[in-house]
Amino acid sequence: MSVKINTTINGQAVSASAEASTSLLEFLRDTLEMKGSKLCCNTGECGACTVIYNGKPINSCVTMAADANGAQITTIEGLADGDKLHPVQQAFIDTGAVQCGYCTPGYIMSVKALLDRTKKPTQADIEEAVSGNICRCTGYNKIVDAIHLAAAKL
Amino acid sequence: MAKAEYKVIGTSPARMGGIDRVIGKGVYGIDLMLKDQLHGAILRSQYAHAKIISIDTSEAKKLPGVHAVITAEDAPNVRYGRSYIDRHILARGKVRFMGDPVAAVAADTLAIAKAALKKIKVTYEPLPVLIDAEEAMKPDAVVLHDDMPLPKNIPADVKVRNVCGFTQVHVGDPDKAMAEADLVVEEVYETKMIHPQYLEPRSAAAQMEPNGRLTVWANAQAPFPVRQEVAKMLGMPLNNVRVISADIGGGFGGKGSGITSGAAIEPICGLLAQKTKRAVMIVLDKAEETISTTIRSGAKMYIKTGVKKDGTILARTGKVIYDTGGYSGFGVQAGGRCTNMLGGWYLMPNAHIDGYTVYTNKQVCGPVRGPGGPQAAFAVESHMDTIAAKLGMDPTEFRLKNIPKPGDKIIGVHKLRDVSLGETIKVAKENIGWGKVKLEKNQGIGLATGSWIESAGPGGGAIVKVNEDGSVTVHVGKIDMGTAPRFGIPVIVAEELGVPVEDVTVLSVDTDASPWDAGTVGSRAILVSGTASQRAAIDARTQLFKIAAGQLEASPDDLEIVDRQIRVKGTPSKTVALSVVATNAHNVIGEVIGRGYCDNLELMAEEKAHGSSQPFTTHACIVEVDTMTGNVKILKYVAVHDIGQPIHLAAVEGQIEGATAMSIGQALCEQVVFDKDGKTLNPSFVDYLMPTLNMMPRIETTLVHGYPGAGPYGAKGAGEIACVPPMACIANAIFNATGVRVTKLPLSPENVLRALKEAGKA
Ligand code: FES
Ligand code: FES
Repeated sequence: MSVKINTTINGQAVSASAEASTSLLEFLRDTLEMKGSKLCCNTGECGACTVIYNGKPINSCVTMAADANGAQITTIEGLADGDKLHPVQQAFIDTGAVQCGYCTPGYIMSVKALLDRTKKPTQADIEEAVSGNICRCTGYNKIVDAIHLAAAKL
Repeated sequence: MAKAEYKVIGTSPARMGGIDRVIGKGVYGIDLMLKDQLHGAILRSQYAHAKIISIDTSEAKKLPGVHAVITAEDAPNVRYGRSYIDRHILARGKVRFMGDPVAAVAADTLAIAKAALKKIKVTYEPLPVLIDAEEAMKPDAVVLHDDMPLPKNIPADVKVRNVCGFTQVHVGDPDKAMAEADLVVEEVYETKMIHPQYLEPRSAAAQMEPNGRLTVWANAQAPFPVRQEVAKMLGMPLNNVRVISADIGGGFGGKGSGITSGAAIEPICGLLAQKTKRAVMIVLDKAEETISTTIRSGAKMYIKTGVKKDGTILARTGKVIYDTGGYSGFGVQAGGRCTNMLGGWYLMPNAHIDGYTVYTNKQVCGPVRGPGGPQAAFAVESHMDTIAAKLGMDPTEFRLKNIPKPGDKIIGVHKLRDVSLGETIKVAKENIGWGKVKLEKNQGIGLATGSWIESAGPGGGAIVKVNEDGSVTVHVGKIDMGTAPRFGIPVIVAEELGVPVEDVTVLSVDTDASPWDAGTVGSRAILVSGTASQRAAIDARTQLFKIAAGQLEASPDDLEIVDRQIRVKGTPSKTVALSVVATNAHNVIGEVIGRGYCDNLELMAEEKAHGSSQPFTTHACIVEVDTMTGNVKILKYVAVHDIGQPIHLAAVEGQIEGATAMSIGQALCEQVVFDKDGKTLNPSFVDYLMPTLNMMPRIETTLVHGYPGAGPYGAKGAGEIACVPPMACIANAIFNATGVRVTKLPLSPENVLRALKEAGKA
């Protein structure tokens, strides 16, 4: 069964149909062909698919597309202002936190949501904010550096 | 070599391709979309070991939206493999692990493809399942591969089965030396299978072109070996197969080694494209990936060492049982390496070690990050601390006592060039506060060393083109997965051509255009592509200078390039822009195209003459053990490495930190768990535990300098070695904290608590 989804993605009204069983991640990646949010575990364990949903970071792979109805969604594609990167994006580049880069969009969205909530996050806030994100490449040092740098710059 | 000599070598400029990745525009394998593509899906064996009696695909074929259903009958009857050519792309006659591909479907949607898989009826006759490699070796075990002979070098009196690799280390007279020892210590260590768990799932897309060529898009680490094997499996000439590399979301060797690592998804996808004359894409589900693609093998290691009272090591004997799974994969090479490394990287005048690579009914060994090394190091370096304790010696003094000097040989290495091992130990002691830091109750300090040989293998080329605006385009055959091609290579080319790093573009691999290469494997990206790129850039520079010489009325030998300008050394006013010279090249040589090659024979001759300039490392940590729960918390972790001259500093640190984290995962929590029928009990990320930020200490990395390697500017590979010490490092700290030696990985709360209880300490 196909359902109609009316939502706002990166500030733009979007209206599209999808199978009722479609996850938000599939809706983004397959229906809208926005491939920036990444597919990995598909079970809500790795954070690669993180998007901001009404101000909160969520794993889009375990959220139904239908739940996007009427919601405000921000994805990695919506952060930069034209050619100007968002400070969190810039911080990931500047600290060398982008190795393979596959976890990066998810981290950036989790960190953006954190820094929207609090300008001066503590180490505990940071650990909590990215506790659902896994990076297999960096060993986390440079990701933590990126978060601190982004917080300092904002 | 002092850093100051260089303009950009050893700095940390922004990674090439970083912007694409932070804005969500990196196109990884799974992001590809081909026009009118079909979705492929693979039927995996439900048995770990069984005869295939029949496969009925008729119902599946009838399903609307299904375009092809293939089994082994549809593929040429050829096998692939590395040492033992023992595997078909789709199982033929027998399945040998759960996850072995049996059939594949291409359909309009993934949902239809999956529905079709359910309609394929396979009749199996189950056979006995071998889970434990030591059991599988026994002379009465069921034979997994009837037509695979035992390795030729196995001694005739050794009665074994299911062995596909045998390595024997024999030096001096170990029996005699053992008899003369003041102390003999004998232990058994065991590591479990882990999955590399790169975040991006394996994928492949394939399309038949109207002219009969096949294009394959792969997120594999070795596009040229993939091309070769796909061509062989599909019976096509190499010039009709083109493999294009997508961005790659991590590999760690799990996406290396040709088609072996992906359980042949590229040729399966290619076959579906051939049958349907359509584009087909396959993306593995993460749980499917865990059960079907290649892994780091578990190993059982018997180790025995004889020492003198003063701590001098006299002899080592041992046995390695290396579990390669249902097919040989990379198990022969990894098992061999593990066997050599069980001899350690200290002076070892007498040794005898037998290493067996054994078939079992589990997923297959791949060249995962430092194949064979971390397992051996867990045994060797834990064992060193056990011996030191029995001798009443400080573990670092015991190690320093047995360190080789330049020119000495160690097991598996005929001669060492420089030896940074001692310095890494000293710096690690300093950094962790060895003997100084005050430890609270249940806290312990531990240390472990490691070494690694950049694996031998063929060289590879580079092409450096200088465009008419002075920007530079580089072709190498190695892919970027957060490794040298888009970190170190632009730095090298910029250094040689006097341009900013951001003027250099390194292209993705396309087998139609890129120079041949064996792949981004074995810590060889800097060694091979770095050397080739440096030489290609120098070749391009020579061409530029020849053209510029006339214009500047100077000899080519007197020119230099600084900030995109070619100028006469010492006469900065005599200059011409690089862009002008590159444009003028159109009239003279057409285009400035530098070519470089890393000559493996030259490297080998160099090593033969002067010895191996291999990297060494020491890691040290402080842990706290909760004796009620068995939980281990790492309070501090230092990693000291000699990797020669760093090319891209942040990349080197990133490789070290990432590899350390991976082995901390293997130390504390990771393992693929099987039931007795060979079913993987934790295929998804819900149950497969990996290190997350909150369980990770900050890894404090220090590089020691002054030990140049064989790579460009004296670089050494940095991708794998940091995987070697962490397991023993943590086990030694637990031993220091509790007096209990845990000999089986992982050092999970359950295993630690059991060991504490057995020792009456919990
Ligand atoms: S893909 Fe959504 S949490 Fe892993
Ligand atoms: S950078 Fe590769 S998973 Fe994080």
